[in-house]
Amino acid sequence: MLRFILQKLGMAVPTLLLISLMVFALIRLVPGDPALLMLGDMADPQSLADMRRTLGLDHSLVTQFLIWFKAVLSGDLGFSISTREAVLPLILERFAVSAGIVLVAVLLATLIAVPVGLLAAWKQNSALDLGLVMSATLLLSIPSFWLGLLLLYAFGIKLGWLPVVGYVSFAQDPWQALSYLVLPIVTLTLVEVGAITRMARASTIEVLRLEYIAHARAKGLSERAVLWRHALRNAFAPTWTLVGLILGNLLGGIAVLETVFTLPGIGRLMVDAIFARDYPVLQGCLLLITFVYVLVNLFVDLLYPLFDPRVKL
Amino acid sequence: MHRFHSPSLARSLRVASLAAIGVLAQPALADTTLRVGLGADIRSTEPGVNRDENTDTVILHVVEGLVAHREDASVGPLLASAVDVSDDGLTYRFTLRDGVHFHNGATLSSAEVKWTWQRYLDPKTQWRCLPEFDGRGGAKIVAIDTPDPRTVVFTLDQPNALFLASMSRPDCGGAGILHPDSLAADGSWKAPVGTGPFTFAEWKPGQYVRLARFKDYSARAEAGPDGFTGNKQALVDNLRFMIIPDPSSAKAALLSNNVDLLPDVTASDAQELKAVPGIQVSVSPIMAICGLLFQTNDPLLKDVRIRQAIAHSLDYGQMVTALSNGLSQPNNSAIPQTSAFHDEVAKQGYRYDPEEARRLLKEAGYKGQPIRMIVNKRYQQMFDMGVLSQAMAQASGLNIQMETLEWGTQLERYQSGNYQMMSFSYSSRLDPALGFDSLMGDKSKEPRKVWDNPQAQALLREAVRENDTGKRQALFDRLHQLMIEDTPMVIIYNGTVIGALRDSTRGYHSWPVAKPRLWGVSLAAK
Repeated sequence: MLRFILQKLGMAVPTLLLISLMVFALIRLVPGDPALLMLGDMADPQSLADMRRTLGLDHSLVTQFLIWFKAVLSGDLGFSISTREAVLPLILERFAVSAGIVLVAVLLATLIAVPVGLLAAWKQNSALDLGLVMSATLLLSIPSFWLGLLLLYAFGIKLGWLPVVGYVSFAQDPWQALSYLVLPIVTLTLVEVGAITRMARASTIEVLRLEYIAHARAKGLSERAVLWRHALRNAFAPTWTLVGLILGNLLGGIAVLETVFTLPGIGRLMVDAIFARDYPVLQGCLLLITFVYVLVNLFVDLLYPLFDPRVKL
Repeated sequence: MHRFHSPSLARSLRVASLAAIGVLAQPALADTTLRVGLGADIRSTEPGVNRDENTDTVILHVVEGLVAHREDASVGPLLASAVDVSDDGLTYRFTLRDGVHFHNGATLSSAEVKWTWQRYLDPKTQWRCLPEFDGRGGAKIVAIDTPDPRTVVFTLDQPNALFLASMSRPDCGGAGILHPDSLAADGSWKAPVGTGPFTFAEWKPGQYVRLARFKDYSARAEAGPDGFTGNKQALVDNLRFMIIPDPSSAKAALLSNNVDLLPDVTASDAQELKAVPGIQVSVSPIMAICGLLFQTNDPLLKDVRIRQAIAHSLDYGQMVTALSNGLSQPNNSAIPQTSAFHDEVAKQGYRYDPEEARRLLKEAGYKGQPIRMIVNKRYQQMFDMGVLSQAMAQASGLNIQMETLEWGTQLERYQSGNYQMMSFSYSSRLDPALGFDSLMGDKSKEPRKVWDNPQAQALLREAVRENDTGKRQALFDRLHQLMIEDTPMVIIYNGTVIGALRDSTRGYHSWPVAKPRLWGVSLAAK
């Protein structure tokens, strides 16, 4: 097990190295000058040159990369071009906001979707199955920003139960934090429930067709025992893979939802950094997201044998 | 000797009437917080250094300069009680007001003014407006003297009619006077300790900025606010600028009473919001220059007849009505409509005449060659302006093709002059000389400049040096006429700013400088 973990983490090193090089090069291929974006339409050539020098953009690309990479190796991701804040604490703070929402939403979505998928599979081709599949497809098809705006309109404007904009962290005031986070978490949960339900249903249907399920039924086990003890555990393995992928993707930023609900998450930070060509922030965000993706995949792999004993690490 | 000090009777009456509407009638309420939506976060707390529009908006509530823009965009004293200009235009003597305090309790004196200005003039500060005062963009400050604690004397190397206007520029942080406590012991920036009606309280990046009422604020004697000067008494205890990047969410926040004011909404949102009970809008023309830029070095567009044909192909009235939902008027001049210099001459622009456009195109031998126009979708108004222009020009036989770029990319193309045609908006310049200066120059040295005409350049240099208003008016009139003849760009209109606010927000109104001012604004008891 330890060897597996070390092997996986070891593989992450060249991945991160390659990603850092790609990120650095790709961002700079995008037209647009951070110094010019900062100075706007009033930029005279002298001021522009001064600003480029201040931002270190007057060096060659190779020199810029080496300076940045050397700093990254010592744990320093540099300073934001736009706000001059240190990048590492900035992205960690923003990541914590996104991660909190994503983890709760994915957990809730899994807790709802897996039993629903199981039920739909058990009642395959019934009216209940049809209703659940249609609901899941509908949720899967709705764009998250639209659902978010609908919920904002219903619970924020019409009913006035929840605040529409703003953010309070749990550390500041748990109750207030909850009031600000309910809508984004519900939106994200509903969107992800669709995908997970469909996967849970499909994998359960497949498992229910296998011989060992027929054998269990022939032994006289109750349907509840067949489903929860034998079908669920095996059917959950592919669903768990999907949950891992969703988690990895969402931790990479839920920029649209963060924008709609004015949450100071990493997705919004990244979008702002792209518009401002804030290279250090963008590079830092992408490095962190890659690293998190590797960790999430490792976590999924480590838990896989719990659901499917045939898998050995 | 010219003297700028006490406001005219007319101005006093006007500001008094504004005060009567809501400013003085509203006493300060305990623990009131005015919540204002901003589309993006601020960049820093340092005036005029690492800044953008939102940064200026917030900081100008905290710091004040010696002079500032009045409601009509003219310049008036703020921390100064009077400004005396010598007859040769080389010496500016500022007399400071008595009893002005910094947020740390210290009393304002000429020493802090000199310290602040020396810091601004130090290239290490990276003050955005240094070129306006070190000789690169105009006159150079050669000395700052403080003969007594209430007097500061600036000496220039040459006359400059823009000296006070440049000092007042919002993007320069209004050249806000700071106390040395604004810096840490190592000389790095800490937080602004100014003299404004609000103190800087808290900044949660990506979430909000909070300012608190400065209890010892020494307001000017005028009856009410007058632009960035006048009586700037704070009437709420806290200002909370909430960062709301999505316009739909901002609108939802206003409707659900989560914010009290959105200082800048689109014309279509304004139409919708003003129909909602409890919400009102405040509209004002602004001083931006919105129009179509031509690359006059382009093989096709170097022919002035083709540029003029484009100008004649546009139905300005219809276009501006569509762009602004009927809230703006066309203006073909670089002198904004709200400027005191916008006279009858400036009103003589292009005539919508498709026949004339076709005649000019025929004369120029235009055979339908494509003309590529750059637009972007970050600023919807620029995109819409491009779409409408393309459609109208097509009716006169012009083949304009749109190229949609991301804003950062478009800005780079603007800076390098690498385009044929571009839909573009210049941010507000509050003096016509600054407006013309942003458009004019030697393209070989500054490719971003759209109008390269040595005769016009000479007129502009004269307008910058000249202090006499009548003579400046004549120079601006001539510049406008020359620009219409050359047509290096087609200026279409100046745009509007529309604020949307809840009925409980009293005393707020939009104005030509566009930036919201939240002193003199109160909240009615809920």
